[in-house]
Amino acid sequence: MELLWVSLLGGVLALDATSAGQFMVSRPLVSGALAGWVLGDATTGLVVGALLELYLLVSFPSGGARFPEGATATVVAVAAAAAGGPGAIPIGAAIGLVWGQVGGASISLLRKINGRLVPAPETARPERVVAMHVGALALDFMRGTVVTFAGAAAGRWTVAVLSGAWPLDPEDSLGLLLVGGAVSAGILLRSLGGFRRRRVLFAVGLLLGLVGARFL
Amino acid sequence: MATLTRRTLAAAFARSFLIQGSWNYRTMLGSGFAFAMLPALRRIFQGDPKGFEASVGRHLEHFNAHPYLSNVALGAALRLESDGEDPEAVRRFKTAVRGPLGGLGDALVWASWLPAVSMAALALLWLGSPGWVAVMVFLVVYNLGHVGLRAWGFHAGLTEGRGVARSLSRASLGAWTERVRAAASVLLGLLVGAVLGGDGGLGEAGPLWGGLAVAAFVGGSIVGHRLWRPTAVAVVAAVAVVATWGWLL
Repeated sequence: MELLWVSLLGGVLALDATSAGQFMVSRPLVSGALAGWVLGDATTGLVVGALLELYLLVSFPSGGARFPEGATATVVAVAAAAAGGPGAIPIGAAIGLVWGQVGGASISLLRKINGRLVPAPETARPERVVAMHVGALALDFMRGTVVTFAGAAAGRWTVAVLSGAWPLDPEDSLGLLLVGGAVSAGILLRSLGGFRRRRVLFAVGLLLGLVGARFL
Repeated sequence: MATLTRRTLAAAFARSFLIQGSWNYRTMLGSGFAFAMLPALRRIFQGDPKGFEASVGRHLEHFNAHPYLSNVALGAALRLESDGEDPEAVRRFKTAVRGPLGGLGDALVWASWLPAVSMAALALLWLGSPGWVAVMVFLVVYNLGHVGLRAWGFHAGLTEGRGVARSLSRASLGAWTERVRAAASVLLGLLVGAVLGGDGGLGEAGPLWGGLAVAAFVGGSIVGHRLWRPTAVAVVAAVAVVATWGWLL
């Protein structure tokens, strides 16, 4: 039953990513918090969501490019991590990143199907345009639900097999995951104009962050 | 514009939130654009069913832009249609604006605003704020910009029609992008500082991980430009190696 609710949540969040609204409830930080709440493990949801948000800071649904689907990836990662065990969070996060690719591939497939459903302009009757558009939204919801269900089931099984043998303690696991986040932060700095151009502003922020971390 | 009521315009604006609902590689945003135009076209072509169907067909053609800024084209197309402009002129207008609206929107929203607000929320979280506060700050701040941009674009298009380029120029979206990027650079530093020094951060993980993180940060800044794959590959590979190692022991 839990898997069903999580899958439906994945379907709804998948809609927000591109098809409906784009209010960014589909971003990992929000998706993770919601998935954790549904699963009754808010802390794991927030931790996994924050990690994936950090990893996917440089990924966005731009034009026709293929992008990892953050919403279903995060719900899958949280469902896997909530299964528990010493390595549940790092393994769950990695499964989420892999599943983001599966979600991205399924979006490309859906877009190809949508292309076949669009009526030719000369034969386009208004009611057919509405039916096609609403049908495409329904297909996207189903796609997100199925992708999340399959990922969550596979993720839970993988965590059950591998998590108990995870050799790192929690501090080292956190270190490993944050090193991955550092790659993303470096890429983002380059995207924002590069170190040379942004060094002063970056240094001001760094100082504020270090001071804030010490005193808050 | 006597034929377009507030209710019709509100319906078109509400439908603009679904403009990517049937995104496809053939017409891209075209089918969503026609879907959003429908309530207004029905009113404009009241009593002219053939004209109505022909106009829906025209707007179904290929169109692409950033989804939020596509409201500029949507508003302007509504204005042009209600003014009874020549269909070819409407088509030419849409072709002319789609590139700039895509480029400006991608740079302003996806590459600047979204990461800036994300980093602010993550920094709040790492600095000890409750999770729900960070999530709410992200959603509220991001959507103030998001919905504001959609509403501004729709209004500008509707008011200026074919001359909407003037509004775009006055709004200086390029300058706003630069400002947001500058703020995002500070927020990135803030986030890195919070992760380095905060509870549950790299300070807790030890100097080895801190050193590796600095190397990874430098590596990322050399390798990447809007690339997410290096991060995914690095994390998945590292977790897979450690998990296999533990499983074999």
